[in-house]
Amino acid sequence: MSKRFQKNFGLLIIIFFLLVFVNNHNLFRKFYNIFFTDYETRLIKKHGYCSDDSVGFLRMLKKKYKFNFNPLIINYEDSVPISGWSIYDTHNKIDKNHKILLNYPKKPLLNFKPLDNIFYSKNTILHSNGIANIVFNLKNTNIRIDSDIKIYRKTLNKKDIIYEGNFHKIINNNQKIPIQFITKKINSIYKATFIEISELNVDQLAKINSITLNLNHEFDLKDFTIIEKFNNCYYVK
Amino acid sequence: MSEIISIFSQILFILFIISFPIIILNNNSKSKFYEFSLIDKLCINLIFLINVLFFASILNINSKYILYLYLFLIIFLYFFNFKKINFKNIKINYYFLILLLFIILISIDIAHELYFAWDTKSFWFFKTLNFYQNQKFENLKNFPISDWPHLGAYIWSFFWKFPFSGYEYFGRITYAFIYVLSIFSIVEIVKVHIYQKIILAILFISLTYNYEFFSGLQDILIFSFILIASKFTYYFFEKRYKTKLLELTFILLGIANILCWIKNEGLFFIFFLIFCILIIKNLDLKTKKLLITGSLTIFLIKIFILNYYEIFNSDHFIGSLDFKIFNLFEKMKIISLYLSIYLTQVPIYLITLPILIYTSFKYKMKDITKFNLFFLILNLLFIYVAFLFKSSETELQVRFSLKRVLFETSGFYFLAIVIFINNYLHSFNQKIFSSFKKKH
Repeated sequence: MSKRFQKNFGLLIIIFFLLVFVNNHNLFRKFYNIFFTDYETRLIKKHGYCSDDSVGFLRMLKKKYKFNFNPLIINYEDSVPISGWSIYDTHNKIDKNHKILLNYPKKPLLNFKPLDNIFYSKNTILHSNGIANIVFNLKNTNIRIDSDIKIYRKTLNKKDIIYEGNFHKIINNNQKIPIQFITKKINSIYKATFIEISELNVDQLAKINSITLNLNHEFDLKDFTIIEKFNNCYYVK
Repeated sequence: MSEIISIFSQILFILFIISFPIIILNNNSKSKFYEFSLIDKLCINLIFLINVLFFASILNINSKYILYLYLFLIIFLYFFNFKKINFKNIKINYYFLILLLFIILISIDIAHELYFAWDTKSFWFFKTLNFYQNQKFENLKNFPISDWPHLGAYIWSFFWKFPFSGYEYFGRITYAFIYVLSIFSIVEIVKVHIYQKIILAILFISLTYNYEFFSGLQDILIFSFILIASKFTYYFFEKRYKTKLLELTFILLGIANILCWIKNEGLFFIFFLIFCILIIKNLDLKTKKLLITGSLTIFLIKIFILNYYEIFNSDHFIGSLDFKIFNLFEKMKIISLYLSIYLTQVPIYLITLPILIYTSFKYKMKDITKFNLFFLILNLLFIYVAFLFKSSETELQVRFSLKRVLFETSGFYFLAIVIFINNYLHSFNQKIFSSFKKKH
């Protein structure tokens, strides 16, 4: 093979790999987007206006109200750790009187599905003040429960009990059974929560479709004045 | 349009800044750094700049003065050396051009993706904001996990602020610059044709590049500086650089200082590397002394600064440890399980570890192979020890951070490929050909 052929062949392979890289990462499209879409729009598209980090809503508030303090930002979206980063000013202090509630749920709840002999919750909660009531979704119209009910999380094989109570009653389908148990232990976005009803046999357990824990808000909108609102994002005082 | 121009200008600015001091100060054949390649010189300048930035950060020197000093010296030296530059002798360096092209490509990806990782939103971005908004080093106390190192965030803030004070991702373009530079730097030592080097570099980038690593996390900096350290460590074992041991030692210590201020585990990785050199390579007493005292000084400076600014949170540190023996077996099971899963998910390991094992068993072991193996053992030991003594949330910690820890050191094992190609590929090809001839 001539040296010239080797050189051209090498060059062709380099160009091929380069194009594969560009194509794999969709870089032509991304270049086009940067060219025609401004930074602010792209940022909001990634972090949401009133979803996920709600960067759009936060930046709008900062522009409109020209904060000379850092408002307390509470995001109910459990896939987001802290949302304050997008408008945080290190020169200012946090003013807890000014709160921004993002992705605020009307009714905070945990939904539990059966898993072997226990029930586990896929969703998590971070800003609740405790358990309001418990609801059983049943296959039948009612079920008799004579058992302890434990709500807990697991660390290695150790149970961290959140709530423990005795149930000796007939429970109707979708009946709200009040608990009114104040606890912050229910708040965790890192681990699943479990419910164990130890005295129920397999047949009885099979009659329960799901269990819902309705929770109390840590920050209830009724307690504040709403200054700005967009969907379920609020700026309150 | 203006954003695209800004991205290009940002890359040129970084290149301009790291042309100081060696390239424009030492460009004659008598210079101690003359034998080093252009990419080596850029790496050395980068190490120098980041160490300067580190001292500026802990001494609370406003970063704009560092920039002014740099600009003044660079412009002055360019004018001073202008007559010495022979423009006729300047050749196009295709290897360097491809490097720049990749920096541009990754910068476009960063500018488009924009999202931050979990840890970035929780910790790293606040550290960056602290320096971007001209706050002092001790102000880090007001943010979560203040004792996590700050240097990566400081680099981010510096290049975010200068030259345009534009968008935050301008600072992260520096991460892309360091990453691409480190890969082209390690591939440079493979003794093959330049085209093959470029192909190898593209493949290496394709294997390791993922936007997630550029979403404000510091792991990519650890990965890149370990790669650069591996390259200069490789020179320790090369006869050609036997007279350059002093320079190499200083470069390695410079990287050690950077790594221990980027992430806490960086300190362990670079000290393992230095320890492996001390054990495997027969160095003269002067170099050994320098490596040991240099490492100790870096460690003591770290302790001193954390205590002086009262940034070290001992309660948090002690609270994160758990020495209960009865959990150890359970924890070891979890770590081993995730280790075996994640080793297969970091593609570099899938390629380099079999090559390392093959060369170790098949051929007479060279010092550099021993060095590679020794580091692997220390690396695995570190992973077990670090996660065994973490407090109760072992599974959560392992699940979320083990893959990143594995990625951080994965670049080092690229040396296995370098060793194989440079030392054994010739005899490997001969074996293949001879067995092929026998069959036919």
